[in-house]
This record gives sequence, structure tokens and C-alpha cells, in this order.
Amino acid sequence: MTSPSEPFAPADVTWTAVSPRLAAARLTSAAFVLLPLLIVIVVIAIAVGGPWLWLPVVVVLVVGVSIAVVTRRQVRAMGYAERADDLLIRRGIMFRQMVVVPYGRMQYIDVTAGPLSRKFGIASVQLHTAASATSATIHGLPPQEAARLRERLASRGEARLAGL
Amino acid sequence: MSDGRLPDVGLGRSGRVPTPAEDGHWRRMHPTTPAIKGWKIVVAVLAVSWYQLGENLRELSKVHDVHVWAWILVGLVVVALIVSVYSALAWRATRFNVTDDAVHLQTGIVFRQQRQARLDRLQAVDVVQPLLARLVGLSELKLEVAGGHGSAVSLAFLKEADADALRTELLALAAGLQRPTTGDEPGVAEADAPIKSAVDAAQDVPPTRPSLTKRRAPADPIRTVFSEAPERPVYELPMPRLLWASLRSGGAVALVVVVVATVVAMILARDVGAAFVLFPALLGSAGFMWTRINQGAGFRAAISPDGIRLRHGLTESRAQTVPPGRVQAIRLSQGLWWRGPDWWRIEINVAGYGQSKDQASETVLHPVATLAEAMTAVWLVLPDLGVPDPQATLDAALHGRDDDGGFTPAPRRARWVDPLGWRRHGVLVTERALLARSGRFTRQLDLVPHERTQSLGLAQGPVQRRLGLASFVVHSTPGPVSASVSHLDGHVAAALLDEQAARARTARAVAAPEQWMTAPDVHPGPAA
Repeated sequence: MTSPSEPFAPADVTWTAVSPRLAAARLTSAAFVLLPLLIVIVVIAIAVGGPWLWLPVVVVLVVGVSIAVVTRRQVRAMGYAERADDLLIRRGIMFRQMVVVPYGRMQYIDVTAGPLSRKFGIASVQLHTAASATSATIHGLPPQEAARLRERLASRGEARLAGL
Repeated sequence: MSDGRLPDVGLGRSGRVPTPAEDGHWRRMHPTTPAIKGWKIVVAVLAVSWYQLGENLRELSKVHDVHVWAWILVGLVVVALIVSVYSALAWRATRFNVTDDAVHLQTGIVFRQQRQARLDRLQAVDVVQPLLARLVGLSELKLEVAGGHGSAVSLAFLKEADADALRTELLALAAGLQRPTTGDEPGVAEADAPIKSAVDAAQDVPPTRPSLTKRRAPADPIRTVFSEAPERPVYELPMPRLLWASLRSGGAVALVVVVVATVVAMILARDVGAAFVLFPALLGSAGFMWTRINQGAGFRAAISPDGIRLRHGLTESRAQTVPPGRVQAIRLSQGLWWRGPDWWRIEINVAGYGQSKDQASETVLHPVATLAEAMTAVWLVLPDLGVPDPQATLDAALHGRDDDGGFTPAPRRARWVDPLGWRRHGVLVTERALLARSGRFTRQLDLVPHERTQSLGLAQGPVQRRLGLASFVVHSTPGPVSASVSHLDGHVAAALLDEQAARARTARAVAAPEQWMTAPDVHPGPAA
């Protein structure tokens, strides 16, 4: 189902992909959880002995590998597009979502970067409208791109400022 | 947003009310406010201590020592004293001021807060009268300014007449009308008179003081320079219909089922113990029905140039005014047991409403509407539906399925994901609004005016993807209505997303101004 008129890929839109460093950042944070767990159960398996104790180790390894595969694909599926009057954001492979946020509807913009994100040189930009259901967050933007986007969105929002 | 919580800038002379001349017209609430608010706190304290100490209290009832009871009495008196002193101080620290473009409210004893509500962002004005306040003739004036959680400005409590006058004034100012400018216009001085007299009374100033007697004697009965906008009643909910509708609600039916099941179980088991299961169910159901009846009692709607006026409430009465263009979305829903008489419950999204505990009572446009009333209610919000025959379209939207009334339905393959309801999923785009229809057994219709669209979304799960379906979502401000159309054809949904974004943009460009009286034609037309 990747015909040109596919619902989640409008024809006249050029998508900007997010930084692949987002995948690295997500994998690192997953590793922070999985690695200590893996070490603990490996130590237990060695200390106690018994082949059935290696089963959890295999499970954790499988989970880790699948997270690695899925995360990279997920990050590749994320993208955004600036159009003349609105911003398009899409994400998801299995459960796909696309949001259209008109510039005139933006109330404020958040740019956030946690310690891990800063280490990897990425930031998130979140758009807020008067609707709390609007879930318009772009993860994994390089800081200068995030700043550029923020300025651009803010100026466009001002130009199209309207009531609720 | 407009209700920025400003730090206390230069107004920190706590407790002292500046004279109107030096600091604008700062006013205070009615002096009995602490008593009415304090009463609530006392009840809350008693309720909490009852729940917390219920066991101990029962033990206590066996104690016959007079000293113990004396101490308990002393404790209660001390609590009452603390509460009343606190309430009195809070009252002293609370002041408000209405300028031409904002309402300022100062509160707080230790942490002082000044809040400013911009009138051009006004979303709704409510006059609320809780039971006790109603008995002594006081009202709370509540202003919604769409600033997110807890952004409402509440002026509690004012004299009924003052609250009404102030509401008229606020609505007129928010509508873009100008106060006559200079102070030598007699009407201006009189405008503030009733409220000032309330403040004077609050200060316990003897009426003999010459400077004040002058203001306290409004010879002219005009309370504000603006007269209240004329209103025309539109519909009224008869009490028998409300009661009957509450009995036919899901909660009541569930209760009957539970009662029957329990009785059968009791007979089969020959044990009366099962009856105790009924108590929570009874309480829950009775509470739900009481809330519905209490809030819907005496429901009346009227239309005026200042927007929709709603009045309702048995114990707590509420008079709401929603100015034109403030309703963000409408939902008409019909429970299974309301299908026979064809009754509809109509709810609205208004920015700011539904952020507090009062959500259920604030966001109802009609608790139990007949079909004709439902159409009138839609007309109240959307005088022009953007179709040649609004009645036929609404009828098709409410009762129809497939492509009745020109709707774009979900394709036949949607039956794999929603075997029962797929024929009801449908969307219709008119010149003015988007209509989203759903619900096979409990019918539902959501309307979102194009210019009120916030953002749009498209979602697709794995099964939908295989079938080439997608769901379309319209994001609205927080409230009971969240419009979406499930299982549309993927291409249709994508096209809808694109077109709707453009349509919302053009609709916003030509939308009526926020200050509704500045629009060229503001008077509502005849009922549909």
C-alpha cells in the first residue's frame, strides 16, 4: 500500500525526516534499563546454575533486539512538513497518525531537551493549540533546526493570530 | 493566554482599599461572603472528620463524661473561629475592578495574586447561585476566559442585582460597546453606584458620612449605563419529561437489572444477604439521577444579541450567557432508551467550560430535547447550517445511515472492523460546519463549525490499513465533544483532511469578530 496517493503521503508534500540520532538516544535509554537487568539475571543464572534460568536471559535478549529493530524503523517513519498555512506531523508504522496544525491556531510552542537528548544533540518541539487533544510533538530535531522551527512557527503564528 | 497570573505589582498594601480616585474602582465582595463560604468549609471539615473518625466517634457516643463533651465543644468552637477569622481575612484581601477592557481580581492573604481577565477573550459569563447564597439573595459571577485549568475569574458573592448589572456591563464591554467617555455624564457615576453601595456597606460606614451618602443615594434606578440585551425565550424543559427521561436513562435501567438479578439470586439461594449488594448500586444510581434532575430542573434557553442564555438548576441555580461564536462544538446524543420518544441530550464545548468540577452542569445546551427542540438548539449555535434544508439534513444526520442526507458513509468493507455500527459512520461537510455521525444503537452527532476547528488528525491501525480505511479526527477545545469519523475510506479521509484544513482557514478569515457588537449584522434571525 505505498501508492502515490496513499493517505499518509499526500502527493504535493515534501517530508522532512527527524534526526536518526533520536533512534540512538532511545536505544540508549532502553539499554539503561535492559543492560543492568541482563547482567543481574546472567549472574543469577551462572551462580545458581540450571539450564532453565537461561530462559529469562533469552527473553531479555529478544526484547532488546526487537526494540532495536522497531525503534530504528519508528524513527524513520517520523516526519514533518511545513506548508504555507499549516504544519503536518506524521508518525507510526503499525498505528499511523498524522496531524495538521494550522499556524493561526497555535497558542504556544515548547522546545525541550533532557540531559540524554542534549548529549545526542537533539531536541523536541511541541505545538499547543487551544485543543488539548492536539498531540503535535516533533521529537529528534537538531537544536539549531528546533530553534529555526520555533522562530518560524512563532512568526507565522503571529501573522495569522486569531481568536479561538 | 489572557489570564496571566501577574505578580503583585505595587498593589501590596494589603487590606486597605484605595479610594476609587487613586486606584480605579476597586470593589469588594458582599460582606456576608465569608459566612457563606465559611459554612462550606465547616461542612467539609465535619464530613472529613466523620469519615476519618467515624469508628472512634461511635465509641465516643458511649462516653457519658461531661468533660469530654465540653472539650469536644471547645474544639468545635475553636475550629469555627479559625475558619471564620480566615474567611474574614480572605474577604478583606479580595478585591476586584472592572476597567474598559479587563476585569482585575486580587486575592490571597499570604500569597497575593492579581488576576486579569481580558474582556475581548471572554468566552462565557455565568451567574451561579448555590442554595445558601440564593436564600440570602446573593450570586456568584463567573467569567470564563479560556486560559486553561482554573483560569475562570469568580466574583463571589455579590448582591443579585449587582451581579446582574455587572454581567450586563461586562457583556456590553466585551461586545465592543463603548462606555460614555467623560465623567460628567451622570449615567457613569450611577453605573457603579449599586456596587459601590455594597462596598460601603461592607466597610460598615455609617450612612451619615456626607461624601458617601451622596453616592449611596442613586435617585435614578439605572444600575449600569448599558441596558440588558433583550432576550427571546426559545425552549423550556417541562419537569415531567425530565423525570421520565431520567427514569429511562442507562443508570436507571441498569439499576432495575441489578435489582431483578439480586432478587432472583436471593430466591434461588434462600438468603437475604445478597440484598446488601444493592446498596452501592442504589446509591450510585440515585446519585446519578438526582444530579441529572437537579441540574436540568427548570431548564430554559433564550437568545439575545449577547448570545445564548441558559437558566437551570433546582438547588443551585445557574444563569449562563455564551456570546455568539463561543461555542466550539456541539454533540447530540441519544441513549438506547430514548429512541422511542426520540429525545436527545445536547452538549457543547465552550473554551474554559468543563475545566472545573462543574463540567456536567456547564456544558449542557439541552438535557432532554425533543427532535424539534434539538433542531432549534442547533440553530441557536449555528443559525446558518450551510445547507438549503437544514431540517432534512439534521433529520438524516440524526436518524439516517449510509448516504442519507448526502453523507459520505464508511465503505462496506468497514463492517469487518465495526460489524454493528458501520452503516452509521459518516461525515457531511456543509458550507459552515462539519457533521460527524455515529452510533447504531446509541446515536450520536457531532457538529464543528469550520472556523472553530483547532487542528485535524488522521489515524490508521493495522487492520484499517489492510482494508484501506482511516479515521478522521477534529480536535476541539476541552469539553464533552470530541468529533471524529471512524473507518472512512483512506483516500476520502486524506482528501477530507486536506480540504478541511483549507476550509477552516477561509472560514476563519471571514468569521465574525470576537467583539460581536462590532459585526455588521448581529441580530438573530427567525427560528428554523
